[in-house]
Formats: sequence, C-alpha cells, structure tokens
Amino acid sequence: MRAIKTDEGENRRKTGAEVKVEVKNITCAYNGHVALKDVSMDVMRGEFVAVMGPNGSGKTTLLRAIAGMIKPVKGEVRVYGSISYMPQKDYVNPNIPMKVWDVVAMSILAKGKKFRWSVKLSEEEKRAVEEALRAVAMFEFRNAPFTDLSGGQQQRVLLARALATKPDILLLDEPFNGVDLPTQEKIINLLSELSSRGITVITVVHNVSPLIHHVSKIALLNKTLIAYGKPEEVLTAENTLRAYGVSIPVTVCEEGYLHPLFGDIHG
Amino acid sequence: MLPPFLERALLAVVLISVNASLTGTFTVFRNASFLVAGAAHAALAGAALAIIIEELGFHVPVLLGGLVFAVIASLAAGYAGKGKLNRVEDLNTAIAVSFAFSMSLAVLFISMIREYAARVWGLLIGDLFLISYSDLKMMFFATLTVILVSLLFYRAFMFVSFDQEVALAYGMNVRLYDYLLLTMIAVSVVVIMGGVGAILVFAMFVAPSATAVKFARSTGFVFAMSFLISLFSGLFGIYLSFQLPFSPGAIAALTASSTYFVSAFLKN
Repeated sequence: MRAIKTDEGENRRKTGAEVKVEVKNITCAYNGHVALKDVSMDVMRGEFVAVMGPNGSGKTTLLRAIAGMIKPVKGEVRVYGSISYMPQKDYVNPNIPMKVWDVVAMSILAKGKKFRWSVKLSEEEKRAVEEALRAVAMFEFRNAPFTDLSGGQQQRVLLARALATKPDILLLDEPFNGVDLPTQEKIINLLSELSSRGITVITVVHNVSPLIHHVSKIALLNKTLIAYGKPEEVLTAENTLRAYGVSIPVTVCEEGYLHPLFGDIHG
Repeated sequence: MLPPFLERALLAVVLISVNASLTGTFTVFRNASFLVAGAAHAALAGAALAIIIEELGFHVPVLLGGLVFAVIASLAAGYAGKGKLNRVEDLNTAIAVSFAFSMSLAVLFISMIREYAARVWGLLIGDLFLISYSDLKMMFFATLTVILVSLLFYRAFMFVSFDQEVALAYGMNVRLYDYLLLTMIAVSVVVIMGGVGAILVFAMFVAPSATAVKFARSTGFVFAMSFLISLFSGLFGIYLSFQLPFSPGAIAALTASSTYFVSAFLKN
C-alpha cells in the first residue's frame, strides 16, 4: 500500500506549492439557518483531504460551496482549476434506466456552461470515458443499465463520471456509503494514486479510518472548522470532543498512524 | 376512405401518443407527474374562460385558452418549487391548494357558461369523435414543438433528471430546463385534453411512461413502449366505441391506466 507522506505536502509548501482551493472565511446558510460558519482553509495541488464531522456539521455544504453550487453569505471561495463533483448516491434518481456509458459521458457533455448541440463524443472523449470506466473496473458493464447495478457498482460509475472530465480538483461526498470493503479499498487506492499524480482530492467521509494511511490532511467540522491539518494534529481528544461531543478513542497501528475508533459514535 | 371524423380521431390518437411518450417520459424521469394534474385543472379553467369569451362574441380558440392557463399554472408551480421539481414534495400543501384554486376557477367559469353545456362536458371528458380541424391543427403544431424541444434538450433533461446536484455543479442552468419542461408539460396537457378531456389527461399522460419504466433496460425503450401503450389504448378506445356505446376517451384512459396496474402486479 502506498502512503502519501504528509512531508511531501510540507516540501511543496516550502518550495511554493500551488494553492488549488482557497476558502476564505465563509459562512453558508440555508433559509437563514447557518450551516457553516467562518471557515477558512487552503488546499494545495495533489493534497488528499478528508472532511469529517458529525451529521449536520456542514460537510456537504463545504463541498457545495467549493463546487460553486451555493454562494456563501459571507466570505469567498477561490478555485484554481477544473472541478468534478461526485454527489451522495441518494441524490441520484434511481429510476432512470440509462446506460452506464451514457452516465459517464454525461459529465463530458455537460462540462462548461456552453450549450453543446451535438451529443456525439469525439474519439478523445470516448477514450476519456473508457479510461474512467477502466479506472474503477466498470468497463465491462458499459452497456448495462445503471439501474441494474449494485450500490457499490453505481458508486464506482459515479466516480468514473467525475473522473471522465480529467479534473484538477475532485470533490467527493461520502463515496464509501453502501460500498463493500473490497470496493472501498479499490476506490481509496485510486484516489491516493490520483492525488500522487497532482490531482487535489477532497472527500467527505463518515469514518476516516480506512483512508488514514493515504490522506494528507483532515478537516474536522462542526459548523465551524474545529481543526485542519495533518491527521495526528487533528485527531486529538480535545478536538474530537469539540466536534462530536464525546472523546473518540484513538489507536495507533503498526505503521504509526492514528486510527480513531468510531464504533457506534459516528457522524 | 375513412369518414372524416374517424380520420381526425385516429390522427388525434397519434398526436396524443407522441406527447405521452416524450413529455410523459421526461415527466416521469423528473418525478414531476403530480404537476400534470395541476396543469390539467388549470387548462380546464382556461378553456372554460375561452368559451365564455366566445359567448360574448369574441372568438378565442378553446384549446388556446387552456394552453395559456396551463402554462401560467405550471410556471407558477415551478417558481414555488424554486426550480427544484423533484424536491417539491415539501410543497404538497401549496400545490394541493393551487389545484383547488384552479379547479374552483374552472367551476366558476363553467357555471357562467349559459349555453353549450355539451361543450363543457366535452372539455371535461373529451370526445375523440368531435375534434374539429382547427383543434387538430393546433394539436399538430403543439406536438411539433414538443418534438423539437425534446430533440434539442434531450441531454439536458436527462442530466437534470438523473442528478440535479451534479448538473448544478457542472454549471448547467437547472432552473431554465425545469421551466422548459414545465412549459412542455402544459403544452402536452392541452393536446391530450383536446382528445380525452381534462379529467382523463392524467391517465393518458403519465400511465404509459410509468408502465414502461418498470420494464425498461434503456431510456429508448421507455420512449418507444410508452408510445405504443398510448397508441394501443387510443385505438382500442376508438374500436370499442364503435361496437358499444362507450366513450372512446374513457376506454383509452382505462386501458392505459390498467396497463400500469397490471405491470405493477406482474413486477411484484
């Protein structure tokens, strides 16, 4: 298993690392309800960031603000590069029998605000769809209706759709929900590889443990940003107590990584 | 040669089926079928108003009156839903009240119509055999528009229906496409109302696609099968009304909605 050393991130910063996402003191609200308050964070090129926190802590809101889907009521978000967004599977309409290939091609056809008259993909775009499907090991399902797939397979197709546009910044909302362990492992390895190739990955997760060897940073949220930094700096008893209202026991694995034991306490 | 009234009825069935297939399927994909009922209520009110205006001596095509009201009601519903059609469940009450509003308006207008009771009856339950050439012409051009819009915006409708979140994230104007779909619903409602009447619109509009989607393994299949279900229902209605003293629209709507229940039964 290939771990991304956080030192790499440090080095880049010293040598003038490229900032990809700048969140500057944003506050977001829905119908007057504040979902996120005074959050500031920078994410660099090739960083792999896990966003965690209890339910309703503003994790999805943070992603949506970065993706430009909602406008903060205060502060601003700056993004340097193209973005792909993978939503929670629940947001996808389960009743449309679209072919897997067409689901993935969707993101290419929709890219940009410009209206595109032709729905035909160029050879290059076809290759991009194929590559994305192969990356998540779903190419052989390209002609199957999306509705026939298992939850984990659907999740992989949605990830392929996000990858197909070759984004600089990949935003994922709970990509492991309803996904079996082997698939989870595959996705984590893929994300880790992408980030080592310079793609910035920001993912919302319930449980950070499976990714802990790979992530460069953790953002711990509970309406405000409680902590943001290397996992070992973030996962302190004090921080988890502030985020979850209970302190979460942490265990150290053989390789020296801190693993929070969520057990029944999950966000 | 067929008698002209039968020719018109058969043409109307084909036009209705095109609308049921295209707009019906997009509506089912967008989970917005309840809006069809709303548009139909409004169309009834608009058509009744057109008859009143006609009684006053000004000629207004009845279906045009229906169209104007249906479009207004649909766009108002879209506005209330803040452009999020599939989240409108939260607005159940508001929508129920707006149904009641347009239906009360319809009843009020109908009560003001002194003569032509038969025409009002026709608006409510329709009569495929009484369709005039001018009605048919309007239905034809409305259907042509629906075909054109479907071809142009197919991809956008599909993306927005499949997942609105990501469509937004890619910078698509979800609201614009929703308003377009709402307008299309209104247009199709009026075409179908021209054939089977306001009460039965829902059956012909939603049932064929809702049935097709249960068996579908591709989106093309849904469009094709809903067209065939609707066409078969219409033809069967016409055929049966020749044998027995039945309303063709009623038989057509009954057939279309029965396929839905039969398919639901088969699927379970």
